[in-house]
Amino acid sequence: MATIVDIKEEKALEVKNFEFTYAGADEPNIKKLTMPIAKHNITALIGPSGCGKTTLLRSFNRMHDLYPANRYSGEIIFKDRNILTKNEDLIKLRTQIGMIFQKPTAFPMSIFDNVAYGLRLQGVKNKTELQGRVKKALQDAAIWQEVKDRLGHDANGLSGGQQQRLCIARAIAVEPEVLLFDEPTSALDPISTAGIEELIVGLKERVSIIIVTHNMQQAARVSDYTGFMYLGELVELGRTEELFVTPKERLTEEYITGKFG
Amino acid sequence: MNSLIDKVFANTTKLIAISVLLLVAWIFGVLFEHSLKSIEAFGFSFLTETKWAPNLEKFGALPAIYGSVVSTFLAMILAVPIAIGVAIFLSEIAHAKIKTPIGVSIELLAAIPSVIYGMWGLFYFVPIIRDIFGGVGISMLTAGVVLSIMILPFMAAVTRDAMNTTPDILKESAYALGGTKWDIIKDIIIPYAKAGIIGSFILALGRAIGETMAVTFVMGNVHKISTDLTQPATSIPVTLANEFAEADTELYFSSLFELSLLLLIISFTIISIAKFYFLRRKRIGQ
Repeated sequence: MATIVDIKEEKALEVKNFEFTYAGADEPNIKKLTMPIAKHNITALIGPSGCGKTTLLRSFNRMHDLYPANRYSGEIIFKDRNILTKNEDLIKLRTQIGMIFQKPTAFPMSIFDNVAYGLRLQGVKNKTELQGRVKKALQDAAIWQEVKDRLGHDANGLSGGQQQRLCIARAIAVEPEVLLFDEPTSALDPISTAGIEELIVGLKERVSIIIVTHNMQQAARVSDYTGFMYLGELVELGRTEELFVTPKERLTEEYITGKFG
Repeated sequence: MNSLIDKVFANTTKLIAISVLLLVAWIFGVLFEHSLKSIEAFGFSFLTETKWAPNLEKFGALPAIYGSVVSTFLAMILAVPIAIGVAIFLSEIAHAKIKTPIGVSIELLAAIPSVIYGMWGLFYFVPIIRDIFGGVGISMLTAGVVLSIMILPFMAAVTRDAMNTTPDILKESAYALGGTKWDIIKDIIIPYAKAGIIGSFILALGRAIGETMAVTFVMGNVHKISTDLTQPATSIPVTLANEFAEADTELYFSSLFELSLLLLIISFTIISIAKFYFLRRKRIGQ
């Protein structure tokens, strides 16, 4: 059984006995996983490729439902309800649980329209309100100064790091309660990476954050809690400073000291 | 020794490639040479004259140009919305189980020789158009309908391919913001694939404007400009196909060549626009 540290904070999400099998696969990719996620903290998910960390992350906003024939069971509790049920409103869920991807994904539209996109989907039409909220989101994502004079320009003209911050602005503009980061800096240079990490840390006052990373230093730098996954199971969830210094499980220790990976 | 083989190989391929260009230039040259008589005789008025009277040695291309433009325009109006609908269905909505069979059948339809569309149009569509809209059935409208059916499979297939180039991660990003399938189609996929879609339309337009066999059967070859679409008409390729065999004077012969030169220039222009402005691949997220 997994070693799970006692979480004192309120919980943003709770995974209970979650099992996930991809379409066409015989073996489940995630096996009977149970894991709490602390509110207003950053939880990092680490583990070797294929351990199921990204699969788990994409379950929180039901991304898997975009593709047919994936099977899953168990519960993910969010705001006192199980979000894995059939009658869950996915459109609403995804405005409450936002996501940032491995690569910057600026939409084929202007910088302003990119950030306004989620707001418009929610029916915000008032121009002043849109302008105000777009500006606020861009400021919070620390990119306002760089783009304020060219909000009408094509967003694809921005650099990779700027685009990723734009994607963060786009995600926080709709004021989600949870943000999922799927290896958000894997396509970026070290300087852009540092900027994104600083930004993520700054966001946790407002949102609960889960970040999947293949980079253990990154997990150590930004997160409060770290979960180590291996072969579809959670091996250990602990406070980050403890997990990296005094891991309770032998498997965790072997992984963080680089014996396998 | 090896470098010599390389050199020979490189130069041979270069020669072959250049010969293709020479071939195009040659075609242009021949068409132009044979058109000279007509160009000298009529000058620019060839393009604006509405009379085509071989017995009077009077040749004006306007009815044929008008017919080409209008029949193609009709075909596009009918085919574009259906092609977009089919492409959206195939790329975003259809279940994997029916996606492949329908996709393959559409590609097969695109391979049907145009003469078959022509025959089918003559025996099937001409009576229908006659019954519904009046006239003799052989008409501009029938030509437009047959043309639209002919270009539809190609347009739908290429539009689907263009839509399929939208990266999954981009679509997922929009879904992750709370978008519906329809939001993603209209805000992400169509804008992303826009250039490819317009390019495919223009290529289809090029094909329609030069199409000969499918419309020769159903258009009528009547050199008259009429706004009544149920009237018979003609287009540049229809005129060429019908009249070359009976061109008994030099000027008649030369006028037909000038028509074909015109068609070549039009097709060339259309395809160049499609290639240079729309069908350049763009990439995202790097």
